[in-house]
Amino acid sequence: MLFNSINFAIFLPIVFILYWFATKGNFKLQNILLLVSSYFFYACWDWRFMFLLIFSTLLDYYTGIKIHEAASQRKKLFWLWLSISINLGFLGVFKYYNFFVDSFADALSLLGFKVNLGTLQVILPVGISFYTFHGLSYVIDIFKNRIKPERNFVDYSVFVSFFPLLVAGPIERATHLLPQILKKREFDYSKAIDGLRQILWGLFKKMVIADNCAEYANTIFNNFADYTGSTLVLGALFFTIQIYCDFSGYSDIALGTARLFGIELLRNFAFPYFSRDIAEFWRRWHISLSSWFKDYLYIPLGGSKGGMWIKIRNTFIIFLASGFWHGANWTFIVWGFLNALYIMPSIIFNTNRNNIEIVAKGKYLPSLKEFLSIIVTFGLTVFAWIFFRAANVTDAFCYISKIFSSSLFSIPNFIGIGKSVSIILITFIFFIIEWVGREHQYAIADLGLNWKRPFRYAMYYAIVVVIFWFGGNEQQFIYFQF
Amino acid sequence: MKKFIGKTITFSILPLISFLGICFLANGYTDPFYIRFTTPKQSNLIIGTSRAAQGIQPKVFKTILGKDISNYAFTVTQSPFGSIYFESIKKKHNKTKGGIFIISVDPWSISSMCYNPNDAESFRENNLCLDNTEFVDMKPNFQYLYKNLKGHYKDIIVPPSKSMYLHRDGWLEVKNIAMDSLSVLKRTNEKVKTYRYIDLPKAKFSSLRLEFLLKTITYLKNYGQVYLVRLPVHNDIMQIENELMPNFDHFINGAIDSSDGYLDLTEYNNKFQFTDGNHLYKTSGKEVSVLIANWIKGQK
Repeated sequence: MLFNSINFAIFLPIVFILYWFATKGNFKLQNILLLVSSYFFYACWDWRFMFLLIFSTLLDYYTGIKIHEAASQRKKLFWLWLSISINLGFLGVFKYYNFFVDSFADALSLLGFKVNLGTLQVILPVGISFYTFHGLSYVIDIFKNRIKPERNFVDYSVFVSFFPLLVAGPIERATHLLPQILKKREFDYSKAIDGLRQILWGLFKKMVIADNCAEYANTIFNNFADYTGSTLVLGALFFTIQIYCDFSGYSDIALGTARLFGIELLRNFAFPYFSRDIAEFWRRWHISLSSWFKDYLYIPLGGSKGGMWIKIRNTFIIFLASGFWHGANWTFIVWGFLNALYIMPSIIFNTNRNNIEIVAKGKYLPSLKEFLSIIVTFGLTVFAWIFFRAANVTDAFCYISKIFSSSLFSIPNFIGIGKSVSIILITFIFFIIEWVGREHQYAIADLGLNWKRPFRYAMYYAIVVVIFWFGGNEQQFIYFQF
Repeated sequence: MKKFIGKTITFSILPLISFLGICFLANGYTDPFYIRFTTPKQSNLIIGTSRAAQGIQPKVFKTILGKDISNYAFTVTQSPFGSIYFESIKKKHNKTKGGIFIISVDPWSISSMCYNPNDAESFRENNLCLDNTEFVDMKPNFQYLYKNLKGHYKDIIVPPSKSMYLHRDGWLEVKNIAMDSLSVLKRTNEKVKTYRYIDLPKAKFSSLRLEFLLKTITYLKNYGQVYLVRLPVHNDIMQIENELMPNFDHFINGAIDSSDGYLDLTEYNNKFQFTDGNHLYKTSGKEVSVLIANWIKGQK
């Protein structure tokens, strides 16, 4: 069930009405309803993988209690590693097994040995990377005594399976989400309206910008050998915009939906393309994953303590792990490696926390220095996305080498370029709105709130009309494959 | 809470009514298939791919045979023979006796582009309009429009092309296109190139598709006369088809035997005009329809 489908448009109001009316404010009943709805939501993708989700939930629920109850550190460690191994084992089998087998066979063939190792014909269970990380953070937090285990299985299951975040995050922490699940939720009119506004903005980003850019990016990336360098640059830009609007649009819908149920999820995006350096970019892009890696990998590895080399090593490890988390392909690993390289200067010169505040706070325009920093950071990001989008590393290098040819200075041309002009224009307006709203949770959070109602409604209707008129061919959310 | 629900409903009414209203505006220019899903269930049907959709004109049959016959042919991607097309035909048919059914056959409609030509899971028609449209006689057909026009709803108000018009009887009229010899030659060369270099290397005979051709004939035979027709095509395309299936008539021998007659018009390829080598131009389509109608009249 996609967020931008009619099924979800029917599902959501039904759950909403039942949640606030049928349960009469009893949060225990609300949690049962949320769990049933979430399992139904997940079963709509593939009911067979529900058993995996339930097993994973049971595993972490049980090992969480066992870690807490264990008398010795040794036993605690046993239960912790049992949970980590099984969770990562599932992820390994479903997501990475074929990658390792193929890579091993390729390596042997380089040495002159031809082997045919069997691969698995399995599809990747949707959301496995997200709910596995949910579960891992929960058991690690119990091990570290940050939280106590949840004894109520329904409440714990809602934490893992809450439908707005189940298939593509944000990756929640038990310390943030569980307390909200365990207390009575009151309906808040202004928060609910804010939720709807965020959903509308998310739909706009996904259906108008991302889905249209996807069409052009696919055309160019899938036939890159036929295009000029300038067209390939345009293709990379289309993908850069697509992936941001696709994933942040999804997150907006997830956050807005959760807010309708009185639950606040972690913010996942904070206008990353207005970042002045790569460190800032990574504090603003897929925040829940970046902070997960920081808290559960970077810091346990020693973080920035222990000298420069340890810091550099740890930085490379988390970026490579982050790349690998995205998918079993060398392209993601190279993408992670490239980002680690990008961030190195700020790690070495200790400037990675130079740009904490949003750019040009309280001003209309950035300074020239800020503007140039944004452009350079954006350019580096676009370059890295080429690896992320390419089918394989060889294609990525060919794509890049074609960019840096004499045809870079020709006029871009591809099938559908005429049609793309209107989308480029809308994207330009979109970035202006994002810039204006960059100090808020999402771009239109504050837009029009002081306007007279007819004008405010006219703006919302205008967004609806643009979604209807310019909505592109429906594309799967990119992050569902991770 | 009541205020929230009230406001949400009030806000949603306008877009919802507008959307439903726009659905009523969908017509033969919206897309090349929609109208066929809006007409009532039929007693007489024309079945096949785009060759039949553009080349067989129902109004000719009304004149010669005195029967309303609906063109329920789509394209080689949407409607090759298979379970999806078969099920949709069953839905479109009104189960009355005494019908006439014209089935257009060619090598492509019993071939598959899949690695395993009998792997129905990988057939191209999966999830397309014949597969995803449960209701085939609803006007406006909200289900069709919702599922198949996603991202193109503006096409209802501003049709993407004025060169195709789908009539209520299911005939897809191609109009407003240049028919001078140079333009036709250019389009034909393009089509031949596509068939030779893209389709032919991938296409393989599918015994499963042939099985469904037989099933379709057997099913329709319960309700009337079933005639098989092979429509004319440009000689260059005919040559490619002969390479794909050198003994096509032999392949469909069982189907021919099960039917009430088989008319192969490819021996008259040179007599007709095509828009792109694959599809009959409307004037030639009319002539071919007259030929088929008279042949059926003779058979009866």
